[in-house]
Amino acid sequence: MKVKLANSTKPGLDAAVLEIAEALKDDDTRLLIYFASTCYDPATLARQMASAFPGVTTVGCTTAGEIISGRMLEHSISAMALGSQLVVRAEARLLRTVAANAREAVTHAFASLSQAFGHGMTDLDHDRYVGIILADGLSVAEERLMDAIGDKTNIAFVGGSAGDDLKFQKTQVFVGPVAASDAAVLVVMEAAVPFQILKTQSFRALPQKLVATKVNEPMRRVLEFNGKPAAVAYAEAVGTTIEQASSRFMTNPVGLVAGEEIFVRSPQRIEDTSIYFYCSVVEGTELALLESTDIVADTQKAIGKVSDASAIIDFDCILRTLELRQKGQCDAYGGIFAQTPTVGFSTYGEEYIGHINQTSTMLVFRSQ
Amino acid sequence: MAGRIKRMLDEIVQKKSGGKPALSNVAKTKLILKGLDPDKFSAASPDDPTIIARVSAVALEMGITVS
Repeated sequence: MKVKLANSTKPGLDAAVLEIAEALKDDDTRLLIYFASTCYDPATLARQMASAFPGVTTVGCTTAGEIISGRMLEHSISAMALGSQLVVRAEARLLRTVAANAREAVTHAFASLSQAFGHGMTDLDHDRYVGIILADGLSVAEERLMDAIGDKTNIAFVGGSAGDDLKFQKTQVFVGPVAASDAAVLVVMEAAVPFQILKTQSFRALPQKLVATKVNEPMRRVLEFNGKPAAVAYAEAVGTTIEQASSRFMTNPVGLVAGEEIFVRSPQRIEDTSIYFYCSVVEGTELALLESTDIVADTQKAIGKVSDASAIIDFDCILRTLELRQKGQCDAYGGIFAQTPTVGFSTYGEEYIGHINQTSTMLVFRSQ
Repeated sequence: MAGRIKRMLDEIVQKKSGGKPALSNVAKTKLILKGLDPDKFSAASPDDPTIIARVSAVALEMGITVS
């Protein structure tokens, strides 16, 4: 078996899990990954999913919208079963108390994963092994998790931050029968086929530069850009007033430009004259003002670079989803993935090398 | 004295990636995300002890010994 997909919009949790289980049951499943609205009680859902797939590694998280081949959904469960033709083996670990102990949690999980695979995490072949990270989207720990992961391995980790249907109260990750907040899930897979990480964001860098000259990193708060109050400098760069500045956040975030790659940092709100972001900005970093482009066209172009995709796991920023909803482009976006088995969710943050915003990160399994 | 920071950052990228080009780009990006862009330093960059201490700490976290 390569891959199977299922989704359910049934309002009752029992019926929804049953529908997923009936569609995906297969003795050859190596990893079952699922993404669910918080309209399903997370603790009960994790227990029932683990019980529906005995002996299978089950992982997932709560969302701000679900993605299944060709469709963007709400108030549903989307699930993918990965079989032995794509994944030789998968191991998952739950990391707890990540807000206070992100690095220690990664160290502990990696020790356990190293033991399971019989190789140190620094020794795993980056062409054969790949990781997925699902993190509590309200933990404010993703930067430190990704930093620690990047320090301790060369295999790529891609993933997203759990959502809660835009309530911003509590997000949870799932491993086996456990649902947890202040937590993250790390999955390490030995792939049976080549794979690729795609990262796409629909922005172009403008000439205006903002250097973060005073920041509170743990709070994701920039106090000053270019030696001026952050909101003043941002408003000047955009060419608007401080009062109007936040209305430009969606279309004009800022980004760290590394070679040809942009790592988007999305402003969240202005408080006094400082700006809170959805991910932290390191003091001294030079950021470029960004200008939005076309999400559907850019994603199409990114997907078009992979001609032989067998399965895709898509971690798509909720801010992109909101823009697609606003523009009535959800069907067009979903349609990009119509021909390839795809599962994913609308995230509160995306992970690849670091923690990023307004981006789609994807794990693409290719053909043999 | 000058140029030590550039040498240290280049050595981290080399050791972290084992010289593989694909990993080299990732290692460099990791440093950039940590606020240490190797391209922002050169052989003429002054040996700022504060930045050298930061680079040393990053190397230590990666389990890399730099000269």
